Amino acid sequence: MTDPFELLGVERRFSLDRAALEQRHRDLSRTLHPDRYVQSPAGERRMALERAVAVNEAFRALRDPLSRAEALLSAHGLAVGDADRPSQSLLMEVMELRESLDEARRSPDKVAALLAQVRARSGSEEALLASVFDDQPAPGPDALGRARDALVRLKYFRRFEEEADAALDS
Amino acid sequence: MAYSEKVIEHAENPRNVGTLDKEDPNVGTGLVGAPACGDVMRLQIKVSDAGVIEDAKFKTFGCGSAIASSSLATEWLKGRTLDEASEIRNTDIVKELNLPPVKIHCSVLAEDAIKSAIEDFRKKQSAKRGA
Repeated sequence: MTDPFELLGVERRFSLDRAALEQRHRDLSRTLHPDRYVQSPAGERRMALERAVAVNEAFRALRDPLSRAEALLSAHGLAVGDADRPSQSLLMEVMELRESLDEARRSPDKVAALLAQVRARSGSEEALLASVFDDQPAPGPDALGRARDALVRLKYFRRFEEEADAALDS
Repeated sequence: MAYSEKVIEHAENPRNVGTLDKEDPNVGTGLVGAPACGDVMRLQIKVSDAGVIEDAKFKTFGCGSAIASSSLATEWLKGRTLDEASEIRNTDIVKELNLPPVKIHCSVLAEDAIKSAIEDFRKKQSAKRGA
């Protein structure tokens, strides 16, 4: 995918103004709307449509802090892949959390408490990501490594949050 | 994506789900995870004094293929010696469960779990001998 920051014309940062991002997406979508290309040659029409799809994709990527962090890392040539192995301490924490969630499944209060606990953990990972990508002009390899680890943790916490949300909904 | 019948069968009726005492010197524990999908897998073996795996348990939080891969692995481990156990390859799991290419990493995870459980057991044994 093309760099979503570039495509939407927003600053390459982790913390961003959600309202401004939405406004930018709306403006671009309006410019690229098929209605405006009714009279245009087929090639131009197709290009506008392709661009509109890419703009939507970029908007979705930046809207979510997790995929936003992925986009920032990927701009530095880094990614989290299938072959990566998380630290033992993280795996132990996640295993414990998931087992607690299984046990708490029938009691919404307990699930909500676990969810709050994990959301707080996600919050600190997001703060760490912001400190790497926003507080320094060009993060070095160490900082990027820390950001990558934070992203791995965030992915695990996100999975937990999805499971806990599903447990609360059922 | 469609799961194979064998994957569904294992995912719906996983074998050997549970926990062995990880402090037991005869138990080896492997804890692995795939961050890309947020999966976590724990596989444990209990080894007899003759070096044969007499029990195996697992607990996996992840997709059906990850559950099926670890469930199958525990079935295969029981009754094997450690050397035989370390010969299990992820490709054997792929073949048995008909895993599609996008799910091959689940079988790799199971192979990693077997290896780290064996390694954990061997580490404990050499620590015991050293003491």
